[in-house]
Amino acid sequence: MATESLYEIWAKRNPEWEIRYENNIIKTFCDYNRGATSMREDRAKILGAGYEIFIVAFFIGLYYNQKKPLTTENRKRKSFGWAIQNWGNIESRGGRKPYPKLREYIFAALVARTDVDFIALDKGEITARKAVDMLMQTMEEYANFGFHFMEDKLIDNPGYFYASNAFLEVFLSFDASVSKSEDDEEPEALD
Amino acid sequence: MILKSIKIKNFRSYYGESIFELSEGLTLIIGGNGDGKTTFFEALEWLFNTSTEDIKESNISAKRKAELEICESDEVAVSIVFEHDGEKELEKSFTFERISKDNVRCKDFKFFGYENSGSERYSVKGSNLLEQSFDAVIRKYCLFKGESTLNVFDNTTALKTLVETFSGIKRFDDLVELSTDFEAKSQNAVNKEMLNDKKCRQKANDLNFRLTKVKDEIQTLKSDIKQQDEAINSYAAKLEILEHNQEASEQYQDIKNRIKGLSDKRAKMRNYTLVDYNAMLLDESWILRSFPKVLQEYQKKASALSKQKRKLKTQEDERRGEERGKQIAIEHIQKLANGAVELPWNLPDQETMQEMLDDHICKVCGREALEGSEAYEFMKNKLNEYLRHIQETTKKDEQKDEKPLFTNSYIDELHTRQIRMSGEDEQRIAGIATEVSGQLKFIQDRKIDLDKIEKELQEAEDEKSRLLIQSSDLTEEMLEKDFNDIKGYFDQKGRAEIRVAELTLQLKRKEDEKRELDEEFAGLEPENTSVKMYQRVHTALREIMKAFTNAKERNVTEFLTSLEKKANTYLGKLNENDFHGVIYLRRTAEGSARIELCSEDGTIIPNPSDSQKTTMYMSVLFAISEITTLKREQDYPLIFDAPTSNMGGFKENSFYNVIDKINKQCIIVTKDLLIEDKTTGESSLDNKQINQLTCSVYRISKAADYSQTGLSTIQTTTTKIK
Repeated sequence: MATESLYEIWAKRNPEWEIRYENNIIKTFCDYNRGATSMREDRAKILGAGYEIFIVAFFIGLYYNQKKPLTTENRKRKSFGWAIQNWGNIESRGGRKPYPKLREYIFAALVARTDVDFIALDKGEITARKAVDMLMQTMEEYANFGFHFMEDKLIDNPGYFYASNAFLEVFLSFDASVSKSEDDEEPEALD
Repeated sequence: MILKSIKIKNFRSYYGESIFELSEGLTLIIGGNGDGKTTFFEALEWLFNTSTEDIKESNISAKRKAELEICESDEVAVSIVFEHDGEKELEKSFTFERISKDNVRCKDFKFFGYENSGSERYSVKGSNLLEQSFDAVIRKYCLFKGESTLNVFDNTTALKTLVETFSGIKRFDDLVELSTDFEAKSQNAVNKEMLNDKKCRQKANDLNFRLTKVKDEIQTLKSDIKQQDEAINSYAAKLEILEHNQEASEQYQDIKNRIKGLSDKRAKMRNYTLVDYNAMLLDESWILRSFPKVLQEYQKKASALSKQKRKLKTQEDERRGEERGKQIAIEHIQKLANGAVELPWNLPDQETMQEMLDDHICKVCGREALEGSEAYEFMKNKLNEYLRHIQETTKKDEQKDEKPLFTNSYIDELHTRQIRMSGEDEQRIAGIATEVSGQLKFIQDRKIDLDKIEKELQEAEDEKSRLLIQSSDLTEEMLEKDFNDIKGYFDQKGRAEIRVAELTLQLKRKEDEKRELDEEFAGLEPENTSVKMYQRVHTALREIMKAFTNAKERNVTEFLTSLEKKANTYLGKLNENDFHGVIYLRRTAEGSARIELCSEDGTIIPNPSDSQKTTMYMSVLFAISEITTLKREQDYPLIFDAPTSNMGGFKENSFYNVIDKINKQCIIVTKDLLIEDKTTGESSLDNKQINQLTCSVYRISKAADYSQTGLSTIQTTTTKIK
């Protein structure tokens, strides 16, 4: 049996995103590709490392439950070069604090929302790599929708996300109720 | 001297002739700023000034001057008609003539008095008439410009002047000085003679030495006391200035403290409201607010996968079990078919064989098989054969087992993760929505608080600005400084007062000692008769000196006591229905006196209000005036320019009511009793108040058609109201 868990394999990956969001979104809101010497406050960025806006975009897609496939052209895609396992391991300074646990919830969401045949995986009929590819695809497509959503907002109003609570408002608009389903104990029928 | 009328002609803003008829009691001359109040007062000052022949062009009415054609002339004049041993008139005037377009010449200064003798009227020298009817010393206690001049004890010679002018016996100082001189000379003579007297020489020498020493000590003490007294006065003066600003200073401090408190609160509230929502999304997992549903999906899926996997595994295990059973059965059938002699290895079964061995009988053939018999051994071997066979078969089965169904355990990983994420973690995620809304509500509430604080802060800042605008001569730094200085000066003044008390006690002891030494010296009995003679003369002169000194002291004390008593009567009247304290006239070391407002137990009221101080000084003035009237058998007017500018409205009204009823000629020039219309800025008389008064009232005001920039358009008009 492989000693590496599915989570560990996934966490070593670098999700991809479309280069067209690099300037108008990622570099606008994050310190991406600007060197790590100065604090984000110095440059009035609303977030820190580039992956932070990716996480935000991902959750927007997740809660809207909308995926948007990425362009198939490799040259139009890019990754942060910063594996998921490092995401949220930030220094406690400038009012920020680390949030490593968030990665596990992202992973859980991907498992929930990706049609991986886990039975086949455990039987060895498909490889872990293939399964993780599928998880990554879900992740990238959700985030891609999120970026698209942001871009739409910015076209209408270029300063939209500069309101200190603009992103928060987006997330407050999602339903946060907890459904009490009776069939909790019943296994779902699996294809 | 009672003033009957005042005429002012072409004196500065008084264009043409203005006549004021005065009552024997109070006459109020009411005018706003720039209406000619101070000019009225200064016209009288000009009239009463005998020191120069003042014909300044600046005293000419600019309006009248502008009207003059070349070679045309007019006069500036101020005159009074008064009663002082008969009706008299005093007039000062000069002529002015336009000699060119730009120049006016002033000439013909005149200062005349007119007296009536029978039906005749003849003129006298103005200065003589003035000195005779209203001399300079009296005038000093009659004319007061603003409240700052009301304190008549503001200089060291004030008491001496007052006593000389108003007390029963004059020239006491000369007599005391003369008798002291005689006493000193005779003392010297006695000393000299004593040294020639054999009997007393030794004792006299000794006493002289001690006397000189005590006198020196007394001198030093007096000088120390004087120094401390000066310090007290100096601090008192400084305090007076500061106290004047104290109210503003305290108000300023109060506002400043309020601003500080509010600023601190604002900073705190700002901290609460300055939340980096974007960071909160990640750092505080606010982004997981809507995650519970997703988490549920995951949990269901992981749980279902786990169940399905287990189910599949069970099914597979069952299938494999079945397969193996079938295989064994086939093997059995194969053995029987071979036609073997023996029964199959598994017949009879283990249980049956064990039972037959235990019962020592073969239950197939019915024969006994005792332990150790051949039949028993056969059965025993058969059982062992059975067990060996079972073991071998199991081993074989295991050897040919299939590859497991599941080679990976990723579903188990997901399931473990699912179990880990339920319970506490799940609760935490489910609670995020409440946490976020709670936090946002808290921030919203703090923002409301912040708005409120900002508003209060703005109000406080406005209040501070208003305070600074109102006290236009004060800067923020001064207010800040004053508050600290007042405390320092109070402390220093307090220390000086304690020191004076100590020194005074020491002085008293030294003076007692000196007196004892003097007596001892006087008690010496010389042999020599001429020495005795000197001694007797000296004793007589000493007694005379003491008598004069004591009389002088008593005179001053009586004067002050009487002044104090009268002043307190007026103080009571001027502050009817209000706390007013008690006036003390305390003598200072340099021989003058200080007016102090005290509580009835004699402790000084530390910060009398401006109106308390004004009524205190005025009470002393009324008292002086009353004594003057008694001593001179003449009454004198009291003329005040704006004495009440520091009083509050309510106080002013009762103040005039009281003055109105005091039997004393008073002329008060004031802007009180005017009501200002806030919208138009125009003032009108407070007729309700004025109607309550019995006194004469004049209204002076600028004639309406003046230009705001042309002095020559200014003219004071005078209207008699009642």
